[in-house]
Amino acid sequence: MSNEAFVIMRDVSFQFGEQLILNHIELSLKKGTSYALIGKSGVGKSTLLNLIAGFIQPSQGSMTIGGGPVKKSKGNTAFLFQDLGLFPWQTVMEAIMMPLLLKKEKNIEGAKEQILALLKEMELESLKDKYPHELSGGQRQRVAIARALISKPELLLMDEPTSSLDSMTKEHIQQLILAQQQKLKTTLLFVTHDIEEAVFLGEIILILNKNGTIQEVKNPYFAQKNAKDQLGFYEACIEIRKSMNMELPMK
Amino acid sequence: MNIIRKIVGNQLIVGFFSFIVFWEIIYLFVQTHTIPSPLETFSYFFTVLDILGLHSLGSLLRVLAALSISILIGIPAGIFLGVNKKVNRLFSPFLYYIYPIPKVAFLPVFMLLFGLGNVSKVMLIIWIVVFQMILSVRDGVMRIPVSHFKVMESYSATIKQQYRFLIIPSILPQVFSALRISIGISLASLFFAENYATTYGVGYFIMSAWTKMNYEEMFCGIIVLGFIGLLFFKLIDLLEIHFTPWAAK
Repeated sequence: MSNEAFVIMRDVSFQFGEQLILNHIELSLKKGTSYALIGKSGVGKSTLLNLIAGFIQPSQGSMTIGGGPVKKSKGNTAFLFQDLGLFPWQTVMEAIMMPLLLKKEKNIEGAKEQILALLKEMELESLKDKYPHELSGGQRQRVAIARALISKPELLLMDEPTSSLDSMTKEHIQQLILAQQQKLKTTLLFVTHDIEEAVFLGEIILILNKNGTIQEVKNPYFAQKNAKDQLGFYEACIEIRKSMNMELPMK
Repeated sequence: MNIIRKIVGNQLIVGFFSFIVFWEIIYLFVQTHTIPSPLETFSYFFTVLDILGLHSLGSLLRVLAALSISILIGIPAGIFLGVNKKVNRLFSPFLYYIYPIPKVAFLPVFMLLFGLGNVSKVMLIIWIVVFQMILSVRDGVMRIPVSHFKVMESYSATIKQQYRFLIIPSILPQVFSALRISIGISLASLFFAENYATTYGVGYFIMSAWTKMNYEEMFCGIIVLGFIGLLFFKLIDLLEIHFTPWAAK
């Protein structure tokens, strides 16, 4: 893990009409680190993610990704949407190949090998010619993750990546995300309502409060084998939940 | 046994034979020379096959030309309205006013504007298909989920790439639906259009047989008109399977 700050937000506010959604946010994300962003409903977690993705512009403050403006980093940022955003007309293979075609990848033969390797890692090999409606929820989730990872993004943003899945599938997907994040050393920021997921996948847990403060909690259970078999894991979840319910003083 | 099962399983053949049976029943009950016997009509059919082929070709070419032009106008116009909310707000009332008017009512206008030749006939069919096409394509574009556009944005896709990977594939099912809906009404209107200033076309063939009181010939024309419709429906089905394989699965 590098100590270099990769994403920097300075005094960022976001207002929608009369409503102030994010208030003077200060945040810095280190390169190659996995961050879980949690907080009560309506504190602006998804808005924060959309700001970093460059889908919306801050009303105030400055933001940089990799030392440059957010707009320039777009090619190196991947976003995993809550509804996955898979196109019904693309097979698994076509969906995963699309980011490379959009980036005008010249070595398409080499890229195909790369796709096949990723398909294998994501256990999608036998499904490469299937359309999204022919896949289960977990399979679709894996396709969306593979599509996000194929271009080896420096920053991966995920909005509630496993919210629609059953607990068994959820755990499997979490393992796959963790393995890929560790392998690619991608900076990961994901929003979740599931505290267990935050403790399992987040090296650092960011608790966003209504007043705009962000509490950072270092997570000792990140990437630990059999973390969920340890009592301490669930104690950590309880601690995080307590911290979430405690409003920090105004800045 | 297998051949029989195949024939019975083919909806097209079953449909056609049901029509023949229905026709035969009507023929037997009504007992008027206006409705000829199916058997006599089919024997007559082979005697006029050459001339009927020529008339069918005339009708087919008119519909094909009109459909091609409608697609060329309707798809870009529909996309333009779908992606530009302000333009859509401006033009939608006009489209909603024009759309429900029976387009055959415009036939005299087209005759006056474009003459009595093929242009007015093709223009009438374009007028029928193009509004259906514009509205379907516009709705298709407007129904694309916001997250799909965000996916494109997250990869910094150019406008051209957005059309190639997102907009065009997402409207294709709507294009085929619009064509399917328009085919029936196009052929019905073509029948009217082929009743003036022409000596070829299935519409002309049917009306000419009627004036000659040759009802076998008239029914041959009606059968062919049905086959032309069927041909277009099958062609659309094939194109749809080819261009939108995800929808067929």
